[in-house]
Amino acid sequence: MSAFRYIRDLLLWHKYRYVLGVIFLLCVDILQLVMPKILGNATDSLEGGTLTRAKLAEFAVIIALIAIGIATFRFLFRYALYGASRSIELSFRNRFYAHLQRLSSNYFNTHKTGDLMAHATNDMNNVTMATGQGVIFAIDCLMIPIAALIMMLITAGWRLTAACFAPLLLLAITVLFFMKIMESTVTKQQEAFSNLTETARENFSGIRVVKSFVQEQKEIEKFRAVNKINKEANLRFTRLMSMMFPSVMLISSLSFIIALWYGGIMVIEGSLTLGDFVAFNSYLGLLIWPITALGWVANIFQRGSVSLERINKIMDERPEISDRKSSNYQADEFGPNKSAAYNEKRIESKIGAGIEGRIESPATSKILGRIEFRNLSFTYPGSANPVLKNISITVESGKTLAIVGRTGTGKTTLINLIPRLLSVPAGTLLIDGTDINDIPLSLLRGSIGCVPQDTFLFSDTIGNNIDFYRDFSMDEVENASRIARLYDNIMEFPGQFDTIVGERGVTLSGGQKQRVAIARAVLGSPSILILDDCLSAVDAKTEESILGDLKKLMKQRTSIIVSHRISAVKDADEIIVLDDGQIIERGTHTSLLELGGYYHSLHTRQLLADEIERAD
Amino acid sequence: MGKNNRHVNINTEQESKERQGVDNRSKERQGVDSRSNENQGKEQQGKRQQNDSQEINSLYESDVLQEEELELKAYDSRLMKRLLTFAARYWFFFLIAVLLLFASTAVDLIRPYLMGITIDDYIKAGDSASLNRMGIYFLILLVAGFLFNLLQIYVLSYAGQSIIYNIRQKLFSHMQKLPLSYFDKNPIGRLVTRVTNDTETLNDMYTNVLVTLLKDFVLLAGTVVIMFRLNVSLTLVALAVMPIVVILTIFFRVKIRKVYRNVRIALARINSAISENISGMRVIQMFSRENQSFDRFNETGEEYKKAVMNEVVTFGLFRPVIEMLSSFSLALLIWFGGVKVLDGALTFGILYSFINYISMLFQPINDLAEKYNILQASMAASERIFMILDTPEEEDDGTVHLEDDTLKGDIEFKNVWFAYNNEDWVLRDVSFKVPAGQTVAIVGATGAGKTSIINLLSRLYEIQNGEILIDGINIRDIYKDDLRRYIGVVLQDVFLFSGKLKDNIRLNEEGISDEQIKAVAEYVNADGFINNLHGGYEAEVMERGSTLSSGQRQLLAFARALAFNPAILVLDEATSNIDTETELLIQDALHKLTKNRTTIVIAHRLSTIQHADNIILLHKGKVRESGNHQELLAKKGMYHSLYLLQYQKDESNHK
Repeated sequence: MSAFRYIRDLLLWHKYRYVLGVIFLLCVDILQLVMPKILGNATDSLEGGTLTRAKLAEFAVIIALIAIGIATFRFLFRYALYGASRSIELSFRNRFYAHLQRLSSNYFNTHKTGDLMAHATNDMNNVTMATGQGVIFAIDCLMIPIAALIMMLITAGWRLTAACFAPLLLLAITVLFFMKIMESTVTKQQEAFSNLTETARENFSGIRVVKSFVQEQKEIEKFRAVNKINKEANLRFTRLMSMMFPSVMLISSLSFIIALWYGGIMVIEGSLTLGDFVAFNSYLGLLIWPITALGWVANIFQRGSVSLERINKIMDERPEISDRKSSNYQADEFGPNKSAAYNEKRIESKIGAGIEGRIESPATSKILGRIEFRNLSFTYPGSANPVLKNISITVESGKTLAIVGRTGTGKTTLINLIPRLLSVPAGTLLIDGTDINDIPLSLLRGSIGCVPQDTFLFSDTIGNNIDFYRDFSMDEVENASRIARLYDNIMEFPGQFDTIVGERGVTLSGGQKQRVAIARAVLGSPSILILDDCLSAVDAKTEESILGDLKKLMKQRTSIIVSHRISAVKDADEIIVLDDGQIIERGTHTSLLELGGYYHSLHTRQLLADEIERAD
Repeated sequence: MGKNNRHVNINTEQESKERQGVDNRSKERQGVDSRSNENQGKEQQGKRQQNDSQEINSLYESDVLQEEELELKAYDSRLMKRLLTFAARYWFFFLIAVLLLFASTAVDLIRPYLMGITIDDYIKAGDSASLNRMGIYFLILLVAGFLFNLLQIYVLSYAGQSIIYNIRQKLFSHMQKLPLSYFDKNPIGRLVTRVTNDTETLNDMYTNVLVTLLKDFVLLAGTVVIMFRLNVSLTLVALAVMPIVVILTIFFRVKIRKVYRNVRIALARINSAISENISGMRVIQMFSRENQSFDRFNETGEEYKKAVMNEVVTFGLFRPVIEMLSSFSLALLIWFGGVKVLDGALTFGILYSFINYISMLFQPINDLAEKYNILQASMAASERIFMILDTPEEEDDGTVHLEDDTLKGDIEFKNVWFAYNNEDWVLRDVSFKVPAGQTVAIVGATGAGKTSIINLLSRLYEIQNGEILIDGINIRDIYKDDLRRYIGVVLQDVFLFSGKLKDNIRLNEEGISDEQIKAVAEYVNADGFINNLHGGYEAEVMERGSTLSSGQRQLLAFARALAFNPAILVLDEATSNIDTETELLIQDALHKLTKNRTTIVIAHRLSTIQHADNIILLHKGKVRESGNHQELLAKKGMYHSLYLLQYQKDESNHK
């Protein structure tokens, strides 16, 4: 598979900008090559005595014009090429993000946020460098030396050219040599730095132990050791750098001395005019930079390709969960009944706008809310033990199911299967009698209001966090916040519904966050309401009043509620007790109490806890 | 004559290269950082992940915004002064660097002049013997310049690295002495960033800005002086474009600063958008908000692209325009200089030297904006570092030393009031005594304030009211180190350091021998599982001990506490489920540990409570009941309810 598989179309999309940019770049290079010739001519006519004031003015004007030309083209090629690479970066990052959005929760459980972030920023940046600067310098490094060399040969013959070019070969070798040693030095430097980071991190994480055992002084010594290693690694690096730059200067200056010396002798002997001598020196000047940059250019491309490979690996990850092609609900990714050509065009226009990642699928049907688990077992990928075993329950439309059980018994997994956050085995979970895998995701998820265990708020206004970009009316948002007993709190905030929450704004308490999540879920009257232990951070009194309203709401729709509190589950139409992924008790509040099992003991303990809680 | 071109050409490109190079180096580091994290702990908690991810670019949005604020103040002389105090110790190095710099600048300055002379006096005159001599002079100059340059860079970076090393060490040492509450308030990732990346940023300031600014100045001044000495009127012609250059530079400097800052802010936004959206991906998917979230993500991307393109345009204008002006200057020189040469008022060689000098004038100007950015970034970094250095250390005004042979271990809490924040009382008027050698169990529902008692005894936090006494001495009057040394602490969540298992028992205390480690481990029944590990006591602790069960970790914590043989033991029992076999080992170990040792235990197990000499029931920060197990049960009060709720099941489980 080509390394460019996820980026080729983006590169092609910008091909005209690249072509244009390269043309501009070549213009700059050509103009740069003209300049020495002019200086040489001016010198020769000066020496030859043929120079007049008018001609001198003409030279000056030509130089100024060339300068303007170089500046203009330089700006243009930068704009074209950097612009192209940045557009590619944007589209590519969007594509990457859109891809992430299609991956299942399971992927995010097994991959660290930090790494994904590094891919989206650092690796993306490396790819951008390769498609922008990399291209520019590669062309420069190829074109200029060849052209300059040819001009030098024409101007001064092969002897002087060879004499001056010899040190430049040495220069190229030296630079590559330094780059090679640098590699291992940089690796060591990075290791030392990450060691330093890890030591500091570990110390701060374990600061309680450090303080309790009076280890501060010892820890400082420990840090001193890694700090020292880091310093030495840095010094090794700088030692190389302090060798490299002056060496480059030395070797390139050597070329100039040879030009001056040998060229001077040639001028004295009369085999070279002074003007050619001047021009030759200028061409030599043009050569130095590209040769020095050779190693660096190679480095850009190498890094770019490594980064691209890393991104490709993520892009190769196939979404575990997606809409089936043959669906009863006619809806595919680009809308129903649209020709392939039409889709093709849309994709193209979206690449241009960098927004191809949008998923389009209109809801064509409505879900009533009958949920049926049919002998469902579930095992997380890569794990040997099933989390859920032979679960069979039916929740009729409009009924309420409650789930209780100890932590780690599979309650949340069970709940996550309903909106297909996890991949559901075929034929084991049916909604309104249809296999859940055959229901378009957007329809399914659009019909479910879910309050997860750990609430997540985005750093945005509280209103937007409730509405969650679904364009509900303000009335509806307010109403939802009232149901969640949040309205009064919001009114006390400085910006009310426009108050920003999160790191850059108001910090909400755990209870308030949970209530935002509840308001978010009840908004828009979903057919199915799922509450996953969502009142744990709310005090008993508020819980009671929220539950009161929620129960009214739950009467009208299918509801599933997970809770540790009896008060939250006791009115459910059916209550199941999960243990080790299996249903061990099922029935209503009364029947389970009579059974005298887990539910009964939970009830007793709850009463005791309430009693203790009330004591003051 | 082409030297002019060469210089300008190299400068524009090389500079952007260097800038990118610096960027990359730090980015690469962070990248590697994240990759090494990947190896080190795939199973790290979600919370830690958050920290890591934010650390990746060390671009906390708040940090960037703070930089923005600081930039309004521009350069801060107060910060600079303080930064220079760190450099003071290395004045000698800086002096040498400056001298070397003068020398290498002199070499740079003299070369164009010699070139001119060579052309005029030898090449044009056809004096090949002298030309040979000049060639040798040039070689000598070249080697001298090479050496001066090499030494200067090396000396300077040595001083820079040493300063960074010192600042880092000072910062870390200071942080060791900050109160625990400081660590509660600040995310670990951010603190780590201060010690690592922020200090690294300062390095650029010391090595790239401080001395090279001087070099630029010397180069500028030197060039102008030599030019004037060579030919006054030609110098004036050459400098004719300078006023425009100065105005443009000032104009662009302001603009570049703004543009650069916008790029950094936009990048920080992308980072936080990615981090936020990945963390909230489940919610996004659950509510099918992918399109909306994508649009918003796209917006941050567009913003970033806009900022970057602004940068491209600004730099794309600035550099070529300056370069163009330098070529204009060249054109002027050729015109005026050429006329003078025609008139015989100037030699060709001098004109040639002038053309080379012009390029030297333009070199520092190109660098200016970049240097300013470095200065800015290091100012912001130093501000953040100084903020930590200015945070007061833990109070320690103790005057009493504890002695091994006189310490008995009586503990008394006397009307203790404590709150983590303001008036949010966690403990209200708590009083109790633990006579030397006895064990007190503290029980209560979650949130009763039990754990705080552990923290208070070793003064990890300070109480607001009342007093805590050991052997009748207020703990405030005891040297903190002594206090903590004599109190052994076992926390519920056992923290294990990376490294060998035995080092997790003795921590950094070299005085504790391998034999002793083995002995204490045997005593607390940890020996069994340790020997079963691959490598035994030498086994490396993987992923912060996540491969060990919580029971095993608890046993390790016992061994650690015992290795330090404390007179007083404070322990918070693990609540998590522990297999029956380990549970028995723990109970046995606990029994041995507490024998004849003053012990406060936050008890979660019935057996522990039953063995305690006294039980204190805390509820909502107050002592509600106390007495031994039987007495309290007989009371049929709150303890009785709690017993039924929490411990009865325990009993039935373990029978």
